Amino acid sequence: MAKRTAIKVSNLTHTVTANTGDLTILKGINLEIKEGESVAIVGSSGSGKSTLLGLLAGLDVNTSGEIVLYGQAFSSLDEEKRAIIRGEYVGFIFQSFHLLPSLQAIENVMLPAELKGDEGARKKAEQLLDKVGLSHRLTHYPNQLSGGEQQRVAIARAFASSPKILFADEPTGNLDEANGKIIIKQLFELNKSQGTTLIMVTHDNELAKKCDRHMVMSEGSLVEK
Amino acid sequence: MVNFAFKLMLRDLRSGDILMLLMALIISVSTVTTISLFIDRLQLSFEQESANLLAADRLIRSDEAIPKNWQFKARELSLKQARRTSFGTMIFSGDALQLSQLSAVTDSYPLKGAYLVDDTLFARGQPSKQPPKKGEVWLSSRLASLLNVRIGEKVEVGELQLTVAKYLVRDPGSSSSAFAISPRAVMNIRDLPSTKVIIPGSRVRYSLLLAGEPVDLENFESWVVPELKEGQRWRTPVEKGERIGDTIVKAESFLLLAGILAVVMSGIAMALASTRFVKRHLVQVAVLKTLGATPKVLIKVFSIQFVILFFTGALLGLAVGWGGQGVISSLLSGLMSTSLPEPSVGRLWLGTITGLVSMVAFCLPMMLRLIKISPMSVLHPSRKLEKNSLALYSMGFIGIYGLMCIYTKGFLLPSIMTLAMLAIGILVSIVGWMVFKLGRSLTSGATSGWQIGFASLYRRLLPNLFQLLVFTLIIMLGLVLVGVKSSIVTEWQEQLPVDAPNHYLFNVQKDQIEQINASTENLRVLRSDWYPMVRGRVISVNGKSIQTLYPEGKGEPELYERELNLTWSHSLGKGNKLLSGDFSADGLSIEQRVAKAANLSLGDTLTLNIGGNIVSLPITSVRSVDWSSMQPNFYLILPKRVLDGYSANFVSSLFISNENAQPFYKSMSQHPTVSILNVGDILKQIQTVIEQLSEAIQLVLLCILIAGALVLIASVRATLEERLEEGALLRVLGAKKALVQQSLVVEFGALGLFSGLIAAAGAEACVYALQVFIFKSQASWHPLLWALGPLIGISIITAIGLFASRIVLKVPPMHLLRDF
Repeated sequence: MAKRTAIKVSNLTHTVTANTGDLTILKGINLEIKEGESVAIVGSSGSGKSTLLGLLAGLDVNTSGEIVLYGQAFSSLDEEKRAIIRGEYVGFIFQSFHLLPSLQAIENVMLPAELKGDEGARKKAEQLLDKVGLSHRLTHYPNQLSGGEQQRVAIARAFASSPKILFADEPTGNLDEANGKIIIKQLFELNKSQGTTLIMVTHDNELAKKCDRHMVMSEGSLVEK
Repeated sequence: MVNFAFKLMLRDLRSGDILMLLMALIISVSTVTTISLFIDRLQLSFEQESANLLAADRLIRSDEAIPKNWQFKARELSLKQARRTSFGTMIFSGDALQLSQLSAVTDSYPLKGAYLVDDTLFARGQPSKQPPKKGEVWLSSRLASLLNVRIGEKVEVGELQLTVAKYLVRDPGSSSSAFAISPRAVMNIRDLPSTKVIIPGSRVRYSLLLAGEPVDLENFESWVVPELKEGQRWRTPVEKGERIGDTIVKAESFLLLAGILAVVMSGIAMALASTRFVKRHLVQVAVLKTLGATPKVLIKVFSIQFVILFFTGALLGLAVGWGGQGVISSLLSGLMSTSLPEPSVGRLWLGTITGLVSMVAFCLPMMLRLIKISPMSVLHPSRKLEKNSLALYSMGFIGIYGLMCIYTKGFLLPSIMTLAMLAIGILVSIVGWMVFKLGRSLTSGATSGWQIGFASLYRRLLPNLFQLLVFTLIIMLGLVLVGVKSSIVTEWQEQLPVDAPNHYLFNVQKDQIEQINASTENLRVLRSDWYPMVRGRVISVNGKSIQTLYPEGKGEPELYERELNLTWSHSLGKGNKLLSGDFSADGLSIEQRVAKAANLSLGDTLTLNIGGNIVSLPITSVRSVDWSSMQPNFYLILPKRVLDGYSANFVSSLFISNENAQPFYKSMSQHPTVSILNVGDILKQIQTVIEQLSEAIQLVLLCILIAGALVLIASVRATLEERLEEGALLRVLGAKKALVQQSLVVEFGALGLFSGLIAAAGAEACVYALQVFIFKSQASWHPLLWALGPLIGISIITAIGLFASRIVLKVPPMHLLRDF
């Protein structure tokens, strides 16, 4: 059976206003990603990778063109509806983890399920933290965890809402090699076991090669390798 | 959703941000509650104090007996009643006799306040709530001395013999008798008929005294006032206590001002805490958005948190405020001669409203902005909040202004304060920008604390300017209060020194002056100048007779109502100030208040009947008179040539201490025709009120200053993180502790110095405006403010800053950097 299209991007352009005038960051990007695929987007700093990632996840609205996520055109939706779609389909992993400092590890992981009003939030969070090897760190606060541990909590949080697409922005960018490897391993394992589509922005070519597809972003254009 | 919002809030409590917000709210509600409750209690106390002067809540004075139906009506309205009948009569003791001012009172007299009586002549007196019993009389010490009677002996009033039971020290409600020159005595009204002294045609003043609930009193007032005929007057404590009224009004204005400052400080505290909350929740909200939280969900979550926060903060604030005013009152209880009345629960709304308005004005807009943050900022941290809009700042400003107006029930005071704050804002921006820039250019490099300190001041220009503004405002508010307090208290003290005149001498003939001078000099008694006094009446104005202007005497200004005491003088007396015209010109000098009431101005001509002679004179000068100076004062001063031909009585005022009282009265007994008026009781009352008020406002000032210090701490904390981060970095790069410390001292010291200086300038301007427009007193310079401002600025801000930043010097830099 042919796989469903998770994301379809047609002629996507994004322009921002800078001090020096308008700046076009993304220039007519076309892209189709199937369900379950893992896609790596590499490129130099400032090439527009993170902006593309944000637009694909519906964090911002593109200037022109169309992004369709599981059949729903993001561009025509307001923030309210985009947030609903994010809650339903999307998970995130950030370079700087973005755990909430006032919440314990377990509470950070419970957050997406709690937002949906899921009664079993705690149990699910415990299981996920167990899967990333942090069952002994449940009640620790982010500042009591190492960078690698924080990113593992973030992975657990990303999977807590059982997302269909996982967006990862330089997930190993702030980690040493050893920790980076553990993170990648756990990320791909979870991705596989849950059948999630993975779209990842990275500088790391080794990491990019682990993905099904490998794209390069350069000066606002995207080229598949 | 409530559950989730509550859980999120509870978890957030650990980070301290919600706690800061809660603390700000509690400080805001409790400070305003403390002050408003305390003011309420003081006001009630003033009212009681004024009621003491009246001996009742309300009084009707009449030249004829009080109609019975008035008493029935009062009873119908459940008002408490007492009656007093006052008249001048001879009191006899053996061969001695003396014209006295006698009051016959009912057993219920006084309804408010108490008599002061003693068993010893010229003593201080003990309070007594009961009037003399039937068959008894109380005599003032002076009267007893003149009659040479002692306690237990008999005196005769008309056909009745009465036993002297006490010496009368203070007669509540008798301040009007201050104008009755004879010495006083009190008896029971049940003995009055047996004396048979009141016969048709006797000059008697009848008073009906009333006390009760305000609403009943108002009902009675609206019923009785239309019934009043000529010679009958309805009196309220405020009118009666005119002399202390002005003092009380000033004190109330001061306390209101203190309340306003509390409101402004609360606003600043709220704004600071909200800014910090928003700053620290940017990522949280953005992350929640990426996790699928919709704006609607976030609005609900924050609204629920807002409501929980408000109720918790308001309840705790009210409780702390209630406790706070209790503490202030108990601290004051040792200092105040009377105990304060209980505070009314009804006043709690003000603190609650303050909390709500400051949350709505400062917290809510911030939260709404927070909700608007783009989820994209999790990927691009530089994309944070949109710039603060003017509308947002306006909302805070309007909120504070509105609160101040609610608080003062007026616009003038809030407008002065708001304008001053606006001016300070502009001044701070200009001066701060120039100084920071100049400091930076003079100290380029990074090798000394000076260079690093000024560099960081300039680099974080906007936050530093904001902090400078907050520091300046708080110091300014504190200084304003210090300035106003010291000028009010000084003015009061100057107005009523301990040796303010407490006796007036009337009916003194020219040839008696020298003898009296000699005897008062022997006793080393302080005395004012002698003023000649001639009686006269205004009969027409600019050629129009008073009868034509005011037929049937209706609406007649005081100036035309009765015979006036006229005098001449070559110079302006103590407490007199020339407002317009020429005092030495050959015309009338008129007191401004009566001139205004009679709509008279320079150039108008008054015609007077002086001892049957008609004299017309133009008004050539207008004076203000300080009636509380206790000096002989006159509505009209005439040229000497006009009054020269008349035989004048002379008047003077003097201060007689308790020890001197008896020898003085003895020496005065050689001049039986001279009338002595003792105003010592009124003075004593005024002085008590002033002392109480001075103590009270000093305590309130202390409260505000403590609240101000708390807000300063909050303000330093608000920018602490960046400073800590920078300090940690410097230490990582090898900077010694001393260098980091020095740079912090320079940074906080400079902020403190400039905020102190600008605050002093602002406070001086503000105090000037307040003195002129609100307290209606003489504007003056306050060198104290100029010294205090920079001193407080440098010392307190540096100390708070260093204390708050001590962590940067103690903790290993790695720990700090990891936290950021």
